[in-house]
Amino acid sequence: MKTIIKSLIIAGLATAAYAKTPASATAENLINAQRVSNINVANISPSDSIWRNAKSVSVVLYPQTTIKLNDAKANTANKDNKAITAQVSAVYNNSAVAFKISWSDPTQSVQSGNVSDVYPDGFAMQVPVSFSDPKKLPYIGMGSEGRPVLVHLTKATNVHYEPNGNGDVEHQVSPHNKNAFGADLANYKDKVNKLGKNAYTRAFISEGFRSMTELKDESDKFGMKMTYDAKNKRWTGVVAKQLRDSAADLSKYGALPVSFAIWDGSKYNRGGVKSLSTWLAVKLQGKAGGDALVKELTAKPQGDAKAGQAQVEAMCASCHTLSPAKQAASPFMAPSLNNIGGYSTNAYLAESIKDPNAVVVAGYNRNAHKGFAWYNVDAKTGKRTSTMPPMMSDDKSINDAVAYLKTLKAEVAK
Amino acid sequence: MSKRQLAMVMDLNKCIGCQTCTVACKTQWTNRNGREYMYWNNVETYPGEGYPKKWMELGGGFDAAGDLKEGVIPNIEADYGVPWDFSYDEIATFNFRENNPAAAFHADSTPTWGPNWDEDEGAGNFPSDNYFFYLPRICNHCTNPGCLSACPRDAIFKRDEDGVVLVDLDRCQGYRYCIAGCPYKKIYFNSKISKSEKCILCFPRIEQGLPPACAQQCVGRIRFVGFLDDVEGQVYKLVHKYKVALPLRSDYGTQPNVYYIPPTEAPAKFDAQGKIIEGSQRVPMQELETLFGKAVHGAIKTIKAEKDKRAKTGESELMDLLIAYHHEDMFRLDANYYQDVAKAKGVTNPLAPIDNRYAKGKFTNEIHFKAHA
Repeated sequence: MKTIIKSLIIAGLATAAYAKTPASATAENLINAQRVSNINVANISPSDSIWRNAKSVSVVLYPQTTIKLNDAKANTANKDNKAITAQVSAVYNNSAVAFKISWSDPTQSVQSGNVSDVYPDGFAMQVPVSFSDPKKLPYIGMGSEGRPVLVHLTKATNVHYEPNGNGDVEHQVSPHNKNAFGADLANYKDKVNKLGKNAYTRAFISEGFRSMTELKDESDKFGMKMTYDAKNKRWTGVVAKQLRDSAADLSKYGALPVSFAIWDGSKYNRGGVKSLSTWLAVKLQGKAGGDALVKELTAKPQGDAKAGQAQVEAMCASCHTLSPAKQAASPFMAPSLNNIGGYSTNAYLAESIKDPNAVVVAGYNRNAHKGFAWYNVDAKTGKRTSTMPPMMSDDKSINDAVAYLKTLKAEVAK
Repeated sequence: MSKRQLAMVMDLNKCIGCQTCTVACKTQWTNRNGREYMYWNNVETYPGEGYPKKWMELGGGFDAAGDLKEGVIPNIEADYGVPWDFSYDEIATFNFRENNPAAAFHADSTPTWGPNWDEDEGAGNFPSDNYFFYLPRICNHCTNPGCLSACPRDAIFKRDEDGVVLVDLDRCQGYRYCIAGCPYKKIYFNSKISKSEKCILCFPRIEQGLPPACAQQCVGRIRFVGFLDDVEGQVYKLVHKYKVALPLRSDYGTQPNVYYIPPTEAPAKFDAQGKIIEGSQRVPMQELETLFGKAVHGAIKTIKAEKDKRAKTGESELMDLLIAYHHEDMFRLDANYYQDVAKAKGVTNPLAPIDNRYAKGKFTNEIHFKAHA
């Protein structure tokens, strides 16, 4: 009981501390990671003491609208999605970095039992495998060719006895398919339950959505957990990742780019239908380096958005949807730019306008819409070439266009 | 498109709805591991709600422009039906002396819907013009699969060697767009492993030269299996030579590779006095046209003409094919072909599947299956 009261007081103090430092006091897209002594990567928990002094900032996650997928119910439910504000805090030490993210979700969706059309809530954290030029970060939608990312994902699922990543399929067998009765059957069920892991927690390596591949060799050392506060209707998720493991070495950086994604199961959210943030700069407080990254990710676009609008509407709008009011002729013609300002960086937008082939993500099933080739693939090399021609070359036009594109994003939900 | 394509022909005139195929498939593949509710092979009564319920209205497939259409993912309780279990545990521990034994054996849920809930109901008024026929359905292993096109992860692939469409269980993450994309709703979500699963055309059997279990066990001998490019094969002859075997709902644009001999013979209708209306047909041609397209008229004409020819002359190759005398003629499979493919790929284990993407991906630990732990 004592500990409960104590933690309630701490929680109260923490809330009070947030109130004193409103999110607007810090630069947009910047998270300051506090140094802590000990991070329990494998069993990270929202109630760990490491979060006590960590300050949270508001991070906005925008609905993924680049690609329109084919689930009728999901498309209807997510048609008018607004952006979600999450509270994110970060801590780090010499060997690991950890994040706490909390967001409001009035409906707790857990995937449990024998279901076909139920989707769990969940969240993910993405980091590049490596990065040198802050202007050439991986594409926000799960990386791009030559710029891989690690994605850490957890979903709200109940214990179920499947391989659970253990590869232990023999214990999936239905009890009635076992020649076991009485005590034997009870033992079998016991064993099966012990094998059941709590959550659907996985790591992926990816160079673009389609290429995403699960890492099952435990090369990525990480831990995740999410808990639902039924009273305040909020999820709190934590994720910890070792800075150096055989999947990536992030130990040399003073600041890291990370991004988050959130899934709302009640709206049929899953891969392809979610909310995601842009690349955020995580400054490891007290550690040298990373200033260029912080500067790049927190910079406001320099161009003239008004001039950019005129250009973009004239040059891009026939293929790209710009907003719900400015639809392209077909939703499958080209990636929708509805929320591009929400989740893309200035540098990515500039790079793609200038050289559409710089980042061509295999993000789209070409067989689904044969009339609309977003890119061509060289049969021999597998190299993707965008069907979009370079649109602008002078810096002024590009900067103006970027300034306008950065305004293309959904309204933030209150 | 694959280099070669295996296909199945089902003769609807001979299907008696006995569900032996369904049971063969279920015991072989779907009675365990989260697949309990799935029927990779089912036999539904047409007209009827089908399995899953009203599958023809759930979208998927392609429109005329070749764009994948939106679809709906069916619900287990409402559309597939929840498989119930009996209280075996209670029986084992039940005190039969003190209690009424009847109470011990009960289902663990009260179903409200299931496959064949409306079996043999059909349409029309008994006895004047009621009708139905059985429609056995497996995955169509389409040439242009809706499921494959819907997958944002490249987790579904079509084998070059025989066109069998499979889910790469390593890549699949259970998004379920494939279910929305398949107009036949023949791909299912396994909630126990959070992945999609479907009919695999019994590829481990096929690679050994054996037909799929559903075809092998069919008591009506309605199922022919073979490669579409095997001009000596019965499948080729029924589909291409006589053009009497037609794909189901080809208007969905997926180019299915299961073909059906349409119902050709049905009793005539009765008038108000219960007398036969000469020349009438109980199964409306319009229905058959919906299912099999305009080509159904020609197919039925050919079958009737060959039937007459056989009656008059005693000879008709088509009638001999449809009678299906020998399994070895009906199932033109070739273990040597697969062995050659395996050899060319450098697979030395003669029992290994030619394509192991189905079970094991690049980052998957090796799986050893033990039936009894």
